[in-house]
Amino acid sequence: MLRSRTALVVIVAALCAIGGAIYVVLAALDSRSEPTAATLAGKQAARLAPVAAGPAPKSVLVRAVDPKRATLEGRVYRVDPVAGGTPRVQKGPACLRFYEAGGRALCLTVARSGVDFRAEVLDRGGHVRHTLTLTGLPSRARVAPNGRLGAMTTFVSGDSYAAPGTFSTRTTIVDLVEGKPLADLEKFQVTKGGEVIHAQDFNFWGVTFARDSDEIYATLATGGHHYLVHGRVSTRKLEVVRDNVECPSLSPDGTRIAYKRRDGKPWHWRLHVLDLRTGADVALSERRPIDDQAEWLDNKRVLYGEGVDVWVAPADGSGRPQRFLANASSPSTQR
Amino acid sequence: MSYLVESSQVVLRGGKAKAGERTNIRKHIGRTVFLLGTTSLLTDISSEMVSSILGIYMVYALGASPLQFGIVDGIYQGATAFVRLFAGVASDRKGRHKPIAAAGYGISAVCKLGLVVAGSSVAAIYAVIYADRVGKGIRTAPRDALISLSAHPKALGAAFGVHRAMDTAGAMIGPLLAFGLLTAAPRRYDTIWVVSFCFAVVGVAVITLLVRDERTAPANPPSRRAAMVSALALLKVPAFRRLTLAAGALGLATLSDGFLYLGLQDRMGFAPRYLPLLFVGTALVFMALAVPMGKLADRVGRGKVFVGGYLLLLGVYSSLLVPSISPAVLVFYLAAFGAFYAATDGVVMALAGSLLPEELRASGMGLVTAVVAASRLFGALAFGALWTLGGVGSAVIVFAVTLALAIVVAAAVVVRREVAPVAA
Repeated sequence: MLRSRTALVVIVAALCAIGGAIYVVLAALDSRSEPTAATLAGKQAARLAPVAAGPAPKSVLVRAVDPKRATLEGRVYRVDPVAGGTPRVQKGPACLRFYEAGGRALCLTVARSGVDFRAEVLDRGGHVRHTLTLTGLPSRARVAPNGRLGAMTTFVSGDSYAAPGTFSTRTTIVDLVEGKPLADLEKFQVTKGGEVIHAQDFNFWGVTFARDSDEIYATLATGGHHYLVHGRVSTRKLEVVRDNVECPSLSPDGTRIAYKRRDGKPWHWRLHVLDLRTGADVALSERRPIDDQAEWLDNKRVLYGEGVDVWVAPADGSGRPQRFLANASSPSTQR
Repeated sequence: MSYLVESSQVVLRGGKAKAGERTNIRKHIGRTVFLLGTTSLLTDISSEMVSSILGIYMVYALGASPLQFGIVDGIYQGATAFVRLFAGVASDRKGRHKPIAAAGYGISAVCKLGLVVAGSSVAAIYAVIYADRVGKGIRTAPRDALISLSAHPKALGAAFGVHRAMDTAGAMIGPLLAFGLLTAAPRRYDTIWVVSFCFAVVGVAVITLLVRDERTAPANPPSRRAAMVSALALLKVPAFRRLTLAAGALGLATLSDGFLYLGLQDRMGFAPRYLPLLFVGTALVFMALAVPMGKLADRVGRGKVFVGGYLLLLGVYSSLLVPSISPAVLVFYLAAFGAFYAATDGVVMALAGSLLPEELRASGMGLVTAVVAASRLFGALAFGALWTLGGVGSAVIVFAVTLALAIVVAAAVVVRREVAPVAA
């Protein structure tokens, strides 16, 4: 009785082993032919009128979004904002987040196996120079104007399943030349009104670099506040400037910050522009909730992702938003 | 495998040996414990394969928000507290534990196929995960009752140690296997579900075909309600009431693993991608010490080892109150944390087993695990609230003080009144 039952277990185990092995082998063979990146077949970019004043953009890089699978990584395309036309595909890997400046690009993407996320540092030709493993989910990526520093934010969640609603972010400054993490914003000294502040619930996100590639602005969330902080990478110091400013983006002339502002409802933001000299703050004509770090097209207009498309709106609150390119995200303006 | 077959023969022959003599551990523990350990090992490989990649699958492949996933999972974990109690009561009513334990394992196995069928529907996947957690809740109490009924009363600690060591081995193999499979077949998450199902099926086959049920006299009360009443009436038994109270109080002051690991990582300053190594280190120590701790508990008293385990945990909390720690100290903390699990996870069931009458064994065990699950969830929520109100430093101090008080209470009510384990 026992012997026959043992034999039965052995048979079940053998069948399962054989069946499982066959499935794995077939899947391994099949997965080689699977398409793994979104593309932009036949998409037309909006043709935008040139505006006076400020540096005129040469082109805008975007990454393609598959509207049916928005989380799939996408190939990178180059768009001419003035002439419009069909975006041209760029060399290099497909990305979940992408930003290029000063001849270097930061591409946050998923490992081919689908086991973990990583950051790839690309040179001007789109070749991968360095790879860093990411903790958590890619959220924001920026590169300093000189191309030597990058900043990336990831979501780290699930650390404490029993405290719903808590999440944490990790923002790292990366040395793009060496391909190594340089500093974690949580290790920076933060001052508020001259006093050093520190709390375990500090979360940073959304770094933007000034023209000297050392001065930065970012968001610091702590105790229910979302502070705009300002400082320098070289000194590892930040100072609180203002409350309720998330995902800042500095204008090319360095005078204004485009950002998203909570409008009362949870996970609901409106795009605003803050004048750093006068403190004047305007809401943009975009009325839909936006969860993106804006990118300045020139000194008069900002680009941002909404749904699965990239939009453009005047930076002074006037006019109306216009669709820049469908099925795209992560715009980075090439000046 | 040959080791197991051989050992179970030793067990069969040795089962008739006189107890109390210096004999091989296997003789006192019995073949059932090794077989249930095998089922748990296979099931843990199966479930940890899935859970190690479920987060990235939900978020990357399906586009669910990580917040949403965390919240839903938290609710599901809490919901199993009641299932644990109901399953224990139901299996006592029949006087048969194996069918209900096997059903719990079976539900979780079917869920792995459910993941294949659910495809890219996020709602369907949440439903499947919920069913899987229910399956886990159902099997725990009847299975632990089976372990306690099949082992010699003097070797209960060792028996649970063997089971937990095998269980933890599975939990370590699962993630490695999942990562290996995804490397071989990139992004084919379905291979994980299918292979996981295969392991689960073999686990179910082992329990249904090979494990001998330990029949107890059916409690046989007139109604389901009466069965529940008699389960809750166990709390009138002073020794069991004290244990449940102590386990609940200690559970309330227990921080989540993830939080402790993040704290250690922060204080040592290594790259976050090495965080999983902390889990592996703890699991290795747990696995290695589960049996020795169980034996120690059988020899010197289960209450002493159980409470001692929480003293180790209190020591681990001290890591969160120092500014930085060195690698050598980290190893010490991980060893202490693993030893804490080895001294408490199985030992508390051995303690419960020795206090409960046979016909209410599963009910009582279900009650203890339900209380512990509920108090840990409540503790974690309280921790979140304390953190928000007063910062993480004061939250840790409140928890450390609460744990110290709970240890004093537990030592007073469990250890001081501890009598030598009674033969059932």
